[in-house]
Amino acid sequence: MKTFTVFLGLCLVFVFVWERVDMVRIGYQIERLKRDKAVLERQRDELRVKVSALSASDRIAKLATEKLGMNLPQQGQVIIVQSRPSYVYPSNVVPVELKIAKNYPASRRL
Amino acid sequence: MPNSLPRGRRYVLLLLLLCGFGVVLFRLVTLQVLQAAELSVKADRQHQKTVSLEGARGTIVDRHGKLLAKNVEVPSVFGVPNALHSPLTTARQLSPILHMKSDELERKLRQDRSFVWLARKLDPDQGRQLDRLSLDGIGVVMEGRRFYPKGSLLAHVLGFSGMDGEGLEGVEHRYESYLRGEKRMMVLQRDALGRTVFPRGMTEGSPTPGHSLTLTIDEVIQYLAERELDDAVGRAQAKSGTMIVLDPKTGAVLAMAVSPRFDPNAVSALSPDRWRNRALTDAYEPGSTMKAVMAAAAIEERVVRPNTMVFGEHGHMTVANTVIHDHERLGWVSFAQVIQKSSNIGAAKTGMALGEQRLHRYLLAFGFGQRTEIDLPGEGAGLVRNPRDWGRRSVASISMGQEIGVTPLQMVSAVAAIANGGVLMKPYVVSEIRDADGHILRQTPPQARRRVISPDTARSVTRILEGVITDGTGTKAAIRGFRVAGKTGTAQKIDPRTGTYSASRFVASFAGYVPADNPQLAMIVVIDEPQGDAWGGAVAAPVFSRVGEQVLSYLGVPSYEPVTLAMALRKS
Repeated sequence: MKTFTVFLGLCLVFVFVWERVDMVRIGYQIERLKRDKAVLERQRDELRVKVSALSASDRIAKLATEKLGMNLPQQGQVIIVQSRPSYVYPSNVVPVELKIAKNYPASRRL
Repeated sequence: MPNSLPRGRRYVLLLLLLCGFGVVLFRLVTLQVLQAAELSVKADRQHQKTVSLEGARGTIVDRHGKLLAKNVEVPSVFGVPNALHSPLTTARQLSPILHMKSDELERKLRQDRSFVWLARKLDPDQGRQLDRLSLDGIGVVMEGRRFYPKGSLLAHVLGFSGMDGEGLEGVEHRYESYLRGEKRMMVLQRDALGRTVFPRGMTEGSPTPGHSLTLTIDEVIQYLAERELDDAVGRAQAKSGTMIVLDPKTGAVLAMAVSPRFDPNAVSALSPDRWRNRALTDAYEPGSTMKAVMAAAAIEERVVRPNTMVFGEHGHMTVANTVIHDHERLGWVSFAQVIQKSSNIGAAKTGMALGEQRLHRYLLAFGFGQRTEIDLPGEGAGLVRNPRDWGRRSVASISMGQEIGVTPLQMVSAVAAIANGGVLMKPYVVSEIRDADGHILRQTPPQARRRVISPDTARSVTRILEGVITDGTGTKAAIRGFRVAGKTGTAQKIDPRTGTYSASRFVASFAGYVPADNPQLAMIVVIDEPQGDAWGGAVAAPVFSRVGEQVLSYLGVPSYEPVTLAMALRKS
């Protein structure tokens, strides 16, 4: 009986010590994961800022005109056509329903 | 064995043991009871570390969610001079990374202090280089730095934040209380090596980040406005320029451009003059654009109708011993033509018929002389004097846009009221505020301030203003396939030396809206001191046209091309 009591006591002490040690170990682990998370979040934020800077309209326009040889459309070259025209046509004209046509070149207009 | 000791010795031994235990007991009582509080504090200092954590500042995005301002954690470098062996060597190693002179760094590192900032809020790449160097006596801490990824785009509206993250200008300043992250003190347990073992307040979590703002601004429209404005200011060799694009039905600001621009990522070297948002701080005499407002007041009060005939006095008229000139001799013209040809004499006569009290009342009703209450800091109220202080010429002068100070924002709001059927809307730039989880905390609904004129009057004025583009001074504001309504303005500036109107310094402007029959955009272009051909119709109207055409295309607003297509069908 005495031996069993001593053994039980030792077990309790062992469990208590093991629990404390494990808590500290998990504490370190949590801290390391938090640091990793902070680094990843920082990288994510940096990348978001980079994406935003790279997709800026002035940069894209500059690349399009200077590197790709594109031009800005001149006045009258862009026509937006109503898909359901509200305009009242003269009686001798048949209205035709059209889909929206963007950036229709001036040279190919009707 | 104990019995072998004489009784006297045993007592001595017992006494010694009791004394020993007594000393230990006394010491225990001293440490655990008498000095308990003091020692407990000392122990906490060694085991615990209190850190101040601040939630990241909220982001700012445009109306389509495109990022305009964001905080990123970046490294700041400090030195511990007392722990350095060779400040000279350390300074030389740091110099190329920090882009600072080694002399300056060495001077800082030789200070008799335990902590000194070397450089704050560096680029992330610099931080990585410092990590690789791993110098003794040099430490790195992470701090939030504000990034404006679009550079100078929208800089005057966004403003900027200071070194400690506080908003100093623009939206950053106005919405500081929403953008700023929560500050929280946290206690951490440290081990013998100074590592964090377990944060005591871990269950409370990290400090809450600041709220995010969604603007009414459209990045693409803003870009188009800035590009065309910069181009116009450059070509006219003007001092500065301003352009505002509003949704006339809601008052939402779609673009607010000021030229010259500045980069909010690097403001330290700039003077406050560069970052002032002239669109709402600077008052100017609007000149003839004011005739649109005067026309609305006169028609609403039935003083004139669009076809009322007005005599142009052969190009000059005397009022209060001063002469008012027209740029051409008009003779008899309709009131609509008075506005379309921008006749000063016709405007002065109509204003005088309206009378000072009614004119003053309409100026206030259209929002002049008071702040629009836009959600941006530093707005000016302009200047509308009380009629008691008006001179004999004041009614005539104000009717043609002199003796009155307005901001570009006030003027475009007034023109937008005509576009909106006579209802003056409150302009605004922030449409939504969201918390860190994306939940909407506040939405800004369109807010009507008052009805200024009737819908019938608004329609009449719109027809007159359409004539400005088709037959008047604003032909260069025309947009192919769209009906445009607007008014040009060319105002002489006051010469500060003489106190009279300058013959060489002007403010050229154009204010209008498009499409005239269903306005989607109300815009104003103000060019300060253009050189050469300084007329509003020559300098500002083309900017309106170019921006208007591109923005209408971008928004997918249909033009009148169906007419052309239908005619083509008939021919075939």
